[in-house]
Amino acid sequence: MEARGKRPQGELVLHQLRKQFGHLVAVDGVSLEVEAGEFVCVLGPSGCGKTTLLRLVAGFETPTEGAIYYRGAPVHHLPPQERNFGIVFQSYALFPHMTVWDNVAFGLRVRRLPAHQVRARVQEMLALVGLEQAARLYPAQLSGGMQQRVALARALAIQPRVLLLDEPLSALDAKIRVRLRAEIRRIQRELGVTVLYVTHDQEEALSLADRLVVLWQGRVQQVGPPLEVYTRPANSFVADFVGTTNLLRARAEEDGGVRWGRVRLAVATRPPGPGPVVLGIRPERMRLVNGSQAAAQGNCVPGVVESWTFFGPYVRLHVSAEGELLAVDVPQEVLSGGRVALRDTVHLHLPPEAILVFPGSP
Amino acid sequence: MKATPAVVRPVPRPWLAQDLWLARGVAAALLLLFCAFVLYPLGEIVGRSFWKAGFTLEHYAEFLREPKLFQTVRNTAVVSVVSTVLTVGLAFGYAYVLTRTTLWGRSVLWAIGLLPLIAPSFVQALGLIFLFGRNGLLTRTLLGLDWSLYGPVGIVLGEVFYCFPHALLVLYTSLSAVDASLYEAAQSLGARGWRVFWWVTVPTVRYGLAASAFLVFNLVVTDFGTPVVVGGDYRVLATEIYTQVFGLQRFGMAAVVSVVLLVPALGSFLLDSYFRRKATATLTGQARPFLQPTRGWGRVAAAAFAWGWAGFVLLIYGTLAAASVVRVWGYDWTLTWQHYRFEAVGVREALPTGLKLSGLAAVAGALLSVVVAYVVHRLRPWGSQLLYALAVLPAAVPGTVVGLGYLFAFNKPPLVLVGTATVIVLSYVFRFVTLGTLAASAALQQVDRSVEEAAHSLGASAARTFAQVVFPLLRVALFSSGVYIFVRSMVTLSAVIFLIAPGLDLPATAVLTLTTDGKLAAAAALSTLLVGVILLVVGGARLLLRVPVVLR
Repeated sequence: MEARGKRPQGELVLHQLRKQFGHLVAVDGVSLEVEAGEFVCVLGPSGCGKTTLLRLVAGFETPTEGAIYYRGAPVHHLPPQERNFGIVFQSYALFPHMTVWDNVAFGLRVRRLPAHQVRARVQEMLALVGLEQAARLYPAQLSGGMQQRVALARALAIQPRVLLLDEPLSALDAKIRVRLRAEIRRIQRELGVTVLYVTHDQEEALSLADRLVVLWQGRVQQVGPPLEVYTRPANSFVADFVGTTNLLRARAEEDGGVRWGRVRLAVATRPPGPGPVVLGIRPERMRLVNGSQAAAQGNCVPGVVESWTFFGPYVRLHVSAEGELLAVDVPQEVLSGGRVALRDTVHLHLPPEAILVFPGSP
Repeated sequence: MKATPAVVRPVPRPWLAQDLWLARGVAAALLLLFCAFVLYPLGEIVGRSFWKAGFTLEHYAEFLREPKLFQTVRNTAVVSVVSTVLTVGLAFGYAYVLTRTTLWGRSVLWAIGLLPLIAPSFVQALGLIFLFGRNGLLTRTLLGLDWSLYGPVGIVLGEVFYCFPHALLVLYTSLSAVDASLYEAAQSLGARGWRVFWWVTVPTVRYGLAASAFLVFNLVVTDFGTPVVVGGDYRVLATEIYTQVFGLQRFGMAAVVSVVLLVPALGSFLLDSYFRRKATATLTGQARPFLQPTRGWGRVAAAAFAWGWAGFVLLIYGTLAAASVVRVWGYDWTLTWQHYRFEAVGVREALPTGLKLSGLAAVAGALLSVVVAYVVHRLRPWGSQLLYALAVLPAAVPGTVVGLGYLFAFNKPPLVLVGTATVIVLSYVFRFVTLGTLAASAALQQVDRSVEEAAHSLGASAARTFAQVVFPLLRVALFSSGVYIFVRSMVTLSAVIFLIAPGLDLPATAVLTLTTDGKLAAAAALSTLLVGVILLVVGGARLLLRVPVVLR
């Protein structure tokens, strides 16, 4: 038990952070605790306030209300220069008139480290990101991926208390993005540095994070490990934004079941009470069954295949059922085996444990 | 249980406090400077125009009553309109040849077309005198005519040569910005020849045409050098100010004429920038040039026109150089260096003084413009918008008005500066700071803000960030503004003619003195030397500093 008013626990603590620009509330009461060595991703659509949040932590913006603590000490009144947080920008923000070496050495020289220490540290950092060969080059001579490695090395060189990354990969093309993603994760594990990483790319966030923070309209929607956020989204926004979810308007009934159009469905999570609800079900959780199975099993809905999109290993069918268009993922063999054709009537099985129930309407 | 930290309301922008005060201090100092050297002289002129032992409209009434004075307004209008129409027409044709034909040697034509940019306006006029004057090579020696260039015809001719490259720059940019796909679309729809010209070319460059017209009008209205050299008795507003002050000692009247001159000058300046903005807004990123093989009579006509003009430009400079090395132009063609012995005509110090003062102005002006741009675009303290306006204003004020304003303002306490070299350097700096500020602003906007933020997050202070990150990135803008201010200072005549003192001669004013004293050969020698030095500096800057040289 700890008494109220004691110093906050956790490596980095955001407490009730609020940032207002004129009438616009960009960040609206965000609280978060980040443990030492943890990799936390802030995920949200553009304009959700995630970049503002990061800039508040970095010190480029001052919170309208709330506080930021590092190891229990308030830091929100400190200039960015005194926070010792490393930051990596989407635009890399390398100093174009300095070589790779001088870019990485900049923070160390500001700290007046002796020359031999600067040399050793820069060498170490360049080795860490695999750019020893590029030390004498200028940023303009490097590819985007290499520039972002330099930016990473530059931010890590000062041994930051926390590493902040603002959509570091979104300016790169797909293949390099995936490779650099793995590399960031490797380096983070190697150094054990605490990371706050902002992105709008859910795949990036799911694959990188120890913990995910979903932000929308300046508010935290859900905090948790990626698997938990994916499988048990806190609300219909999270369900829709993280991965793909079919959201269906339905009614909860007295006995704990739900009615969707003419269909009655059993659900594993009991709705809060009778009234309108939103059902969520992911495309990969539905199965195609034949008519007789459907009659025997229950929780089945008939529908018509309107179109499909081919994704390689799987196919997304667009099935109209009960006046809604559902996305249903099936292995591509279903299509290549000729088991489904356009305008076919199919039966969808919705397992009760796969159906998410959210109060209200979408 | 987790601890609940007490809600802490941060002190508003605490860490910014010291940087904020620094920014405010710098902005206040800059505002003070611009008020002293831009607004105060202008205010003095407006004040004097209404002052004669108390507030009065008498000077204005007098201006309207005196037919000779009012005549200057008409004269100015006539030469300005005629020069504008001729210049824009010629420059458009020249730019069209450069951008739309496959004529041989277009890069040479381009360089020759821009040549007059580095020469003072009176150099063209001087060259014309040697060709068409009373002892003109073409008029008297070859044709045996007794015809005088002096007067409106001389002014118009001189102005066309002086303003041509300025119009060419604007029109060339406009014409190059039209993408070939537009023409191809027009052709695929069946349009050809003149139809394409009237329906595609002219509409797409209409803003450029308008901008160049107002630019030329502004240049002609405010030009002092040409009318003072070849104007003869034909009086225009810009020279009338000078006559009122030094000929008649009528300071109040000079102020009135200045105010009258400010109206068309400011108006055409504003319209020029308005259309320039419109023209840039319609520019697309990269336009594919529309070059069609030019053949037959079209090719002959284009070549005759463009090379004819280029030849004429070269002829003027060539004549000037030739006139400086023959004993008596028109009579005795023996070669001699005697005109280059400047101590004989008492202007030995003019060129060294000019180099020194222009160099000082270049350094001070370039630094000032970078600091102004940084304060206005990055620090943005209170008053930075006003500061920006004051930094742009000098470009709109005619040189003669600046000169008169400085004469009024700095001839009495608190700042007694007239007669010193300081006031000349100050007039250079504050007249030409505009382009430097614009160049530095453009360069600054190319620098992503996060580059500065990265430096801050790595621990660098505001001062260190400026010194090690921002300043190096503005290096190119700094150097090119410096070269620009140097060149403009070397060739300007209109403002400094009011500020020179005995023993303080400048190359431009010395050329004017020599011309009015009838020592035309010495004037030609000094002009040739001046143009040569500027060519060296501009070329040197391009080669050594690898700096794009902006000349207007």
